[in-house]
Parts: sequence; structure tokens; C-alpha cells
Amino acid sequence: MATPIIEAEGLGVRFVRNRRRQMRIREMFIHRSNRSPNPGEFWPLRDVNFSVNAGDALGVIGRNGTGKSTLLRLIAGVLIPDEGKITVRGRVAPLLELSAGFSNDLTGRENVHLVGSLHGLSSNFLKKNFDEIVDFAGDQVSSAIDTPVRHYSSGMKVRLGFSVIARLSHPILLVDEVMAVGDAEFRKKCYTTIERLLAEGRSLVLVSHNEADLTRFCNRGLYFEQGKLVTDGTVQDALDAYNSVVRS
Amino acid sequence: MTSSVTTLWENRNALGLLVRRDLSVKYQQSILGYLWSLIEPLGVAAIYWFVFGVLYGTGADRHLGDANNSYPLFLITGIFAWSWANAAMGEATSALTGQARLITTMKVARQVFPIGRVLGRFAEFVAGIPILIILAIVFGELHFDWQLLALPLAILLQTVFLTGLALLLSSLNVLLRDVEKLMRLGLRFLFYATPIIYPLALVQNADMPGWVKTVYELNPLVGIMQLYHAIWYPEMFPSAQLLGVTVGISLVLLVGGWWVFRRLEPAVLKEL
Repeated sequence: MATPIIEAEGLGVRFVRNRRRQMRIREMFIHRSNRSPNPGEFWPLRDVNFSVNAGDALGVIGRNGTGKSTLLRLIAGVLIPDEGKITVRGRVAPLLELSAGFSNDLTGRENVHLVGSLHGLSSNFLKKNFDEIVDFAGDQVSSAIDTPVRHYSSGMKVRLGFSVIARLSHPILLVDEVMAVGDAEFRKKCYTTIERLLAEGRSLVLVSHNEADLTRFCNRGLYFEQGKLVTDGTVQDALDAYNSVVRS
Repeated sequence: MTSSVTTLWENRNALGLLVRRDLSVKYQQSILGYLWSLIEPLGVAAIYWFVFGVLYGTGADRHLGDANNSYPLFLITGIFAWSWANAAMGEATSALTGQARLITTMKVARQVFPIGRVLGRFAEFVAGIPILIILAIVFGELHFDWQLLALPLAILLQTVFLTGLALLLSSLNVLLRDVEKLMRLGLRFLFYATPIIYPLALVQNADMPGWVKTVYELNPLVGIMQLYHAIWYPEMFPSAQLLGVTVGISLVLLVGGWWVFRRLEPAVLKEL
């Protein structure tokens, strides 16, 4: 068997509620040992073990507040686990908050170059593919490409962000309900893009509540309940587990 | 620590991009653009020149030494260096909190954000160097001599000092937002605790207990500022002891700031 592209072993993250009230300077540096369990602390994720092989499309299912987005942030490397470890072999293209890297005062054009380069696209590639990227984002965006992003609607920002990040050649895609934002036409474009990327052999981790999306893209499913991984199987297994809890 | 230094090096592209972005955002919307980075410190210098050069200028011994007849040059050199320190420390404090959305979606070495603020302000300082040279020529204090080497040494030390402080302040500010408010007072204090508008000799000859002077010289900016002054006035070159203290404390701040940043990083990421 090939080495998995994402591997989680005993993964856990601890958050502390009302941290501000309980924080003491001393505690920031001296890690509390287990002798004084803090009543405000909770684990959005704990004891999570799974692995994803290259080319897998993984659907992450669970009710709100069960650590799905936390898991994506851990895979993206923008959160550091308190327990266990997560190994990600390959770069990650995060389709998470698509307009996150944009500076409102810069024009769409400048932002495409900025965000693209921050994600590791070369400026040559960006110049060559600039028109395609903008066309993909739609007419509204291409006619406003030289005005500051401040004047864009949130949908326009998301579309432009998606068209940049969809260009990344990174082997792992993280998708968190982006499809919910755009209009029907753009959603269709997203679907074809994701299908194309999957056909190229990329791996996908998708967080969604939409059963149709999940069955459409994913071959595997993880079902989370209160920060614990309950079901690890096909996407149908995970959906069944989810539905049996939700509908009962 | 070595591993995080290499990751920082691998992220040098992102660092450059962020610095360029900050500069272009800043100057895009003002007509005078880049000139603002010069006008502001020059305006401040004019005020201090009026008060301490004109109004108090007739006092007996001001301990200015060689700078007695070129106080504007002395003042502007200090103010330019201070502007860099002031803005870098102020902006670095909010470097992580202000860019939270970028940090929580994109995987780059997080050190890039505070360090970018230090470097961005350094670019503005560089833009002011020609003005300093022109002033030095006007006052006849430009000597092509070993003393010009004080400039790169001063810049190096100030970069070390500011980087350490930026890492420390930016990470602490995420967990304790009071840091940002404290900094406003802290920076004002630091300005007067550094020989910018007055010469160090005035402090050394003042009628104060010895320990006050010792504590005063523990501020690395004192030694750094003396190096800047030494570019034009060699007699102001810091003593070996002062230079040693400056180098030592700057390095301690860099290592300490780096350590604190690494240590707080998991908590910072959760909080953003």
C-alpha cells in the first residue's frame, strides 16, 4: 500500500472557554499539567485517527460544532494540535475562506497576483493565465478587475478567490461549503472544476451538509460526533450514521 | 530554533510580497505618496528644532559638542531612525490581530507577518537617507572616513532589536489585547528615553544618581542612536561598554522574542 497523503494519529485540540478571564501570564509559558483540570476547557477534536490515500475524496460529516472546520484547519496547517500529530505529505490548496487573502484597497488585478503568489504560483504563470482566471470568475468581475476589491460584492470576491486557488497544482484540496455561496451558474462551474481536479488524481477533503454534493464527489466518509470520529468508511456509511442520529 | 529559521527563509517570497503589499496599500490613496514617509518626520523635526534649537538654543552648554552648529542634522538623523523604530513597533503589535483572516487560511511561517512590518518601515527609512546626506553636505559634516561604517552597524543592530521586539509584541498582543494600548504610552516613553532631541552627553553630565544613568543605557536604542550620530560626529561613537550592552540586549531580545513567539504560536492560532 502506498504511503497515505494525510495521516492523523491520536489527533486532539484543546480550546479554553473564557480564556481571557483565566489567563495568567505565568500560565502562558508554563504548560499546565493535568493536576488541575480547567473547567472551561473542551476538546473540539480528540483521539482522531484516520488516513487518506492520494486520489481519495473524503467527505467530512457531522452536526454543527463537532470539529469539522477545526479538522480542516489542522490539515491546512493553520492550527497546531495539542495531542497526537497530523502528517500532510504535499501542499494544500485551501478553498476555505476564499476572499481571505484579498486587500480591500488593492484592485482585483493586484489581488490576483498577490494571492496567487502567496499560494506559490509564479508570476509568469499568473501573467500567462491571467485572462483565463478572470474569465472564470464571470463578467461582473472581469469588468471590474481594475477597481479596488472594496467595491466588489461578496459573491464576486468569492468567485475571484475560487478561480485563483483552483489554479493551484497542489495535490490536496480542502473545501468547506464554498459551493453554498455562489449562484447556480457559478456553482455549476465549481462542480466541473472540482470534478476535473479529482480526475487529475488530486485528493479532496470536503466538509458539507449537502448529501448530493457528498455522494457526488466523495468515495470515503468520516462522521464526527462531539469531536470524536465515529464512522470511518464509505461516504454512504457516514451519511447513514449521520442520518440515523439527525432523523431519530 | 534552526528549523524555524529555515522555514522563514523558505517563506522569503511571501515576506517580500507582504511588504510590497503594505507599501502599495499605504501610498496608493495619497497624492504625495511616498513623500509622506519623509514629510512626517521632517515636520516633527521642525517642531523640535523650533523648541530646542531656537527657543532653548541660546542656553549655556548644551553638551552638543561637534553638533553644536548643526543641530538640525543631529535632530533629523535621530528622528528618521526613530520613525522607523516607532512605526515598526506600533504596527508589529497589530501584525497578527490585523491579518487574522489571512493567517487562519494560508500556511506561511507566521513570523513573516511581524517581520514584514519591520522591513516595510525600513524601506521608508532608506528613502530618507538621501535627505540626511544632503543635510550633512550642507552642514559640512559628511566625511568619507571609517565613521560611515557606523551606519550599516546601526541598521543591523536596529533590525535585530526591532525584529525581536516585533515577534514578542505581536504574539503577546493576540492573547492580551492590552499590549496595544500599553504600547502607545510605551513608545512615547521610549522616545524621550533615547538621545534623539538631546545628546547623550547631557544625560551623562546630568546631576543624577549613577544607577539612573546605568538603567538609562540599558535601552538598546541609546547605543543604536549614538551609532547614527557617529556617522557625522565621530566623538559620539558609543563606548565599548555601551556598544556591548546594546549588542547584548538586542540579541537577547531577538532570541527571547523568537522563543516566545514559538511558544505562544499554538495558542495564538486558536485565538485568531
